[in-house]
Amino acid sequence: MFRHTALRYAVLVLLASAALFQAFTAEYFGLEILTEILILAMLVLALDIVAGFGGMVSLCHGALMGMGAYAYAILSTTAGIAPPVAMAGAVALTGAIAWAIGAICSRSHGIYFIMATLAFGQMAYSYVFEAPIFGGDDGLGGISRLDLSFVGIDLNDSRSFALFCLASLGAIYGASVLILRSGLGRSLTGVMHNEQRMRALGLTVWRVKADVFGLSGMIAGLAGVLAAQHIMYISPGLLSWTVSGEALVVVILGGLGTLVGPLVGAAAFVVLKHELSAVTTYWHLVVGALLIAVVMSRANGIFGWIEARWGARIDRRLTDATRKPEAKEVLGDA
Amino acid sequence: MLETRNLDKSFGAVHVTRNVSLKLERGERRVILGPNGAGKTTLFNQLVGELTPDSGSVHLAGEDVTALPVAKRARRGLSRSYQKNTLFDGLTVEENLGLAAAVHTGNATQLWSDSLAKPEVREIVDEVAEQVNLMPYIHAKVSEISYGVRRQLEVGVALATRPLVLLMDEPTSGVGPEMSKGFHDLLNNLPRDLTMLIIEHDMGLAFDVADTITVLNYGEVVFDGLPEAARGSKLLKDIYLGSWEDA
Repeated sequence: MFRHTALRYAVLVLLASAALFQAFTAEYFGLEILTEILILAMLVLALDIVAGFGGMVSLCHGALMGMGAYAYAILSTTAGIAPPVAMAGAVALTGAIAWAIGAICSRSHGIYFIMATLAFGQMAYSYVFEAPIFGGDDGLGGISRLDLSFVGIDLNDSRSFALFCLASLGAIYGASVLILRSGLGRSLTGVMHNEQRMRALGLTVWRVKADVFGLSGMIAGLAGVLAAQHIMYISPGLLSWTVSGEALVVVILGGLGTLVGPLVGAAAFVVLKHELSAVTTYWHLVVGALLIAVVMSRANGIFGWIEARWGARIDRRLTDATRKPEAKEVLGDA
Repeated sequence: MLETRNLDKSFGAVHVTRNVSLKLERGERRVILGPNGAGKTTLFNQLVGELTPDSGSVHLAGEDVTALPVAKRARRGLSRSYQKNTLFDGLTVEENLGLAAAVHTGNATQLWSDSLAKPEVREIVDEVAEQVNLMPYIHAKVSEISYGVRRQLEVGVALATRPLVLLMDEPTSGVGPEMSKGFHDLLNNLPRDLTMLIIEHDMGLAFDVADTITVLNYGEVVFDGLPEAARGSKLLKDIYLGSWEDA
């Protein structure tokens, strides 16, 4: 069951503060990196919900993000639908497709589940790559951003768009917490712990898995819509299994099943990628070595390691710090 | 309330259930005895739908449920506990009971509302925790409670679905004599209208709790009757080598 600890709140505040600082002070390149982090963070949140809290390790979340991006591009450019409606449509469509994938794959487990989702992802990639309506290998361009000029916000400005992505991520994080704390989320945790027992209690297990996969797909779809609006151009590479693989690396690097960890992972991954790629073209080797170190250390990612090592101590200190004023009052009364 | 008609099951050449016909009335407490390998747990698995019988049928409250999957049978009121604990280890006692109660009350798939905060779920959780003496451990994680308390929780989780028929597979398996005595009281204090089918090796508990006793041997019903008759049966003494004479 997902629980917020003092440490988790502290890390969230730290991440949000750093993102806000970056959003208000960075120049163009810094804002682009920030936006990249925020969109990746949204995708890995979606993946953490199914993999970390439902045991459904998906290799099609990159494809789901791509579907969201393409659906938005087609609806807003080819079909000429207003961007807000196109966004909602793209998110709903991706959620529906993800629900169907979840419903079919929910009957498999472990490596078979991974392979089934990989197959769905690659089917989508191949179709988009070949179909003329999606622009084939050339992709689609001329994608417009959401128009918020009626409230005085110009999303064509990088700073405004980064802040918009940050607000969206905040809302999605809140929604993710609500999902995981809902009856559905609790059942998902039960299924991950003991699927047979949940079935014996009367739960329709495949339905729970499909519903959560659908919700996760909606989040991945929204990440895709924002990615399309960010670059204003999309190509089939967005649906490739390597995007899903990269998202999985980020989730494991950050801390599977913690929600906060994948946010840390997304920030660490993108910053590492940009810093290292400036030094060497073999930056993947460093990330790979780091991933191996994290996995071999048996720590649950960077955040999981921090939580296991200092979590209890930090929680105690932060809790004590918030209780001190009351304690003083009691002493004063005495 | 629960009836099987000529239930038959084989695994290859091994005949594990041979034409088993049982009939449990509402509120009846029946204990199934039998040596290891007699087919007791295999029978349970067929009753709840985890195994499909080769032939025969299972009826719950007059309805033929043979073709229904596990979850649908559970929702119709057939609940079970397992010989080996099948709990949700990372969760608290309260959350374990809450998962079962949420399924029963239809809150298990609710979005945007916490099932454990629902009054109808809380009511069941509190009631079952009282029934199976789990109140002192309600906020403890499963990993923090003793084996004996986990056995109580195993039964509690099954009870939290508010079943019509409760199947218990060796509820006292692995617990000491003192805890086993506590289980006698626990089972005797459960609502009298709850139908119970219990697999048990503890003869003391069997004779203390049972209204009726069924004995299985090589997948076949070799005795079906009252506990007093079971005590005097030579056939049963032969099967158990007189092991219950001390009970």
